[in-house]
Amino acid sequence: MTDRAPGDPSPRRVDRAGLVIAFALAVLAVVLVFDAFRLPPGAMYGVGPGAMPLVVAVGLGLLAIGNLIDALRGNMPPRESADPKPVLLILGGLALLIAIIGFGGGFILATSALFVATSAAFGRRALLIDAAIALVLSTLIFLAFDKLLTLSLPTGPLERLL
Amino acid sequence: MTPFQKRLFGAAVALTLAAAGAAHAQQLELKLMAPAAPGGGWDQTARSMQQALVAAKIARSVQVTNVPGAGGSVGIAQFVNGAKGDGNQMMVNGFVMVGALAMNKSPVTLEQVTPIARLTEEIQVIVVPANSPLKTAQDLAAAVKADIAKVTFAGGSAGGVDHVMAALFAGAVGADAKKINYIPFSGGGESLAAILGAKVSAGISGLSEYEGQIKSGKLRALGVTSEKRIAGVDIPTFKEQGIDLVLANWRSVVAAPGITPEQRKTLSDAVEKMVKSDAWKDILKQKGWEDAYLGGDAFADFLKKETTRVTDVLKSVGLVKS
Amino acid sequence: MIDTFAQLAHGMAVALQPLNLLYALIGVFLGTAVGVLPGIGPALTVALLLPVTYKLDPGGSLIMFAGIYYGGMYGGSTTAILINTPGESASMATALEGNKMAKAGRGGPALATAAIGSFVAGTIATIGLAFLAPWLVDFAVRFGPEDYFALMCVAFVTVSATFGDSPIRGLTSLFIGLTLGLIGIDKLTGQARLAFGIPELLDGVEVTTLAVGLFAVGEALYVASRRHHAEEKLEPVRGSLWMTREDWKRSWKPWLRGTMFGFPIGALPAGGAEIPTFLSYSTEKRLTKHPEEFGKGAIEGVAGPEAANNASAAGTLVPLLTLGLPTSATAAMMLAGFQQYGLNPGPLLFAERPDLVWGLIASLFIANVMLLVLNLPLVGLWVRLLAIPQPWLYAGILAFATMGTIAAKPSVVELSMLAGFGVMGFLMRRFDYPIAPVVVGLILGPIAESQLRRALQISLGDPLTLVQSPISATLLAIALIALVAPFVLKGLGRFKANED
Repeated sequence: MTDRAPGDPSPRRVDRAGLVIAFALAVLAVVLVFDAFRLPPGAMYGVGPGAMPLVVAVGLGLLAIGNLIDALRGNMPPRESADPKPVLLILGGLALLIAIIGFGGGFILATSALFVATSAAFGRRALLIDAAIALVLSTLIFLAFDKLLTLSLPTGPLERLL
Repeated sequence: MTPFQKRLFGAAVALTLAAAGAAHAQQLELKLMAPAAPGGGWDQTARSMQQALVAAKIARSVQVTNVPGAGGSVGIAQFVNGAKGDGNQMMVNGFVMVGALAMNKSPVTLEQVTPIARLTEEIQVIVVPANSPLKTAQDLAAAVKADIAKVTFAGGSAGGVDHVMAALFAGAVGADAKKINYIPFSGGGESLAAILGAKVSAGISGLSEYEGQIKSGKLRALGVTSEKRIAGVDIPTFKEQGIDLVLANWRSVVAAPGITPEQRKTLSDAVEKMVKSDAWKDILKQKGWEDAYLGGDAFADFLKKETTRVTDVLKSVGLVKS
Repeated sequence: MIDTFAQLAHGMAVALQPLNLLYALIGVFLGTAVGVLPGIGPALTVALLLPVTYKLDPGGSLIMFAGIYYGGMYGGSTTAILINTPGESASMATALEGNKMAKAGRGGPALATAAIGSFVAGTIATIGLAFLAPWLVDFAVRFGPEDYFALMCVAFVTVSATFGDSPIRGLTSLFIGLTLGLIGIDKLTGQARLAFGIPELLDGVEVTTLAVGLFAVGEALYVASRRHHAEEKLEPVRGSLWMTREDWKRSWKPWLRGTMFGFPIGALPAGGAEIPTFLSYSTEKRLTKHPEEFGKGAIEGVAGPEAANNASAAGTLVPLLTLGLPTSATAAMMLAGFQQYGLNPGPLLFAERPDLVWGLIASLFIANVMLLVLNLPLVGLWVRLLAIPQPWLYAGILAFATMGTIAAKPSVVELSMLAGFGVMGFLMRRFDYPIAPVVVGLILGPIAESQLRRALQISLGDPLTLVQSPISATLLAIALIALVAPFVLKGLGRFKANED
């Protein structure tokens, strides 16, 4: 990513992120076209299922060109630098949540993992305290929604104890 | 992608429980999957079973889980993989799932599950707007034979029971089922509006859904798909009008693959007991469902026949590649 | 007419009994509690809580039912405003301005204008329901697929209100949404598109999963990535907690206009709640005297869409009560509520059981009042939630956002999509692409496509069908004028400037 200071006086520079976005849009258009041609001609009357994807693909293609021109001219809005660490930490929390749900660890553990990871991403270092808060909170939420309001949340070893 | 290791633990517990108390049906702790979102027909069936099983003291507890997606394709895949050999799990399903599995090229089929029983069914109806020139099913048949493209049918999702019925109707009157002009709508309300507004020639749906409209004279029913006339409903069957079209939108309950004959018997007995309970009868009356209990091997046969019939129809209209 | 009043008065008398008022309060409370979960909209809320009402007598159960319904709807707006997480697609427009207001310390007025606007719209729309239903339903049934397609065209034109500064960026977002809308089983032919063999994708992308991912998760990621810059300090209350005179002055017209969009479109069998909220948002943006505030927290942008959302809900009762047509998931749940007593709403219901129909209408009034009673005092409490230290606030938001998905669809694929949309939302924020058009594209694209194809299937492929209906011809003309007018006006302005 080509980070620029907010007040960069020389905006007319090729924007590499912009190029990537334009390329991604073009790829998306190609995927749509391939998928549309894979479909059987389909409808007996009227328009088949492949028509709309082609229309959208054409639109995406044109927008890829538009974004490409913007990127080459450096017409992208200025952006500030980003810190990847907290982002990765939160994504790790989400991945953990998905894994715990997937392997049957239950709602309480999964939600607590995400809670702790997120609060750490926002600069908290008291992991144990946060973990305790998360466990208590998610247990209360589980009890309220699953038992009281009969919303079925995924259960794991902890939930079975309740 | 095996979100069901947790079931191993559950299954172990269940097995011990089953072994300890197989003789006492009251000890049954069932898990019932509705392969649809809360609120729909399968969900209501599952929750009604839950209510009746507990009220009639056939099971100690019944837990309903919803696994929505693609006409039940997602649910059955989870059920077959996750509940294998577990004699305490059942899944609600029905007519629509047969077509959905075929159309979605599902790797899991209904042959893999253990049939338990058919529970309810709903008779289908073809209606036309009150001011339509079509008066009888034979008028509609003539119109279809004259120019099949011009006769537009409105109904539910592509490949669902309404669509299958439109194709069966065309076939039964000697027209080319492949050429039917069937327009799927999302939800009964939207297709009913299209029929009332005479945007389409005819509409297909479950009888109960349009009963009010038919009684008030806004819609005219051309025929119902039952074998014989339904008591209290003044609509001729297709059969008595010389069109061989008998069909019902049924709902049933199945058990996991790989369970023992004893486990199957326990579940079958529990369901049979439930069907005969007052609690179940009350629910049927309240929801307006038709009792269509069919248990044991008779149901297994029925399921096989329906699967063949539906798959053939879907192939004939080009929804499933042969 | 006089009969109508008498019936309504009788319904009110029943609903106003102390015990029934208590039921209404409980219903509103439960509905709000479940409805605040993102991904669980009013329909699902009602479905989940319906069993609670079984135990009551018919009158009480109907009232609690109405309370749950309104509570569920308002719950979605609360999260949209406070934590930028629209609980359902219809409150997305609310999140656009509402959350900006909350961040600027004006969460109180935002919540208040949403609640009062909902009340005003609900009241007017319920009166409309009582008096206009038979006439309106005649019109609604005449809407064919071609007319819906034309209505979608009008809606698409208004989307540009959410585009921000650059048309190319706005359109890029919109087309990403349209692409997402293609995923899943094609409604008309049953063919799977862009599903790549994953069964969970066959039903398409859930609007709430996309909205929660883009809005809530995306924002958490974005804020976290910028934490090393000056930390964003949230001040829960700046200025008045309550609506000021100025706020009232800027809210009442949007409330009325929102109602005008919501009620008739809601009465259309395939109208829905989203389109009127978008139409209302773009109208308010065009008419406002404070265009500079739009995108930064304009109260009109909350008042209008919230009123439209609520009015459309009352609108869906028109076809339900007069024709027995459940035109939305919520209406279908209402139907279930009626069926508890072995009643089928339909053409005969008004004639056969006026007591129940008017009882329901009266209950809706009462529930609406209860909502106001319960929520206005809570506004202060809700707003103070924003004073929670940032790490816990965002951790809580994420836990909450994922919980909605876990409760509605606990699958690994669905949660992965949520996370994926979160990353997308983060990147879009970072590279300054507007987010709302993605959701709009996902909602409108599939409707426009299937209605157009239905129209062409009925006409056997003749495109002239689109202009032969007077309704669609008119709507298409409106869309065209709305599309071209700004350019023409701009051109004229330039022309004049050159002349001078």
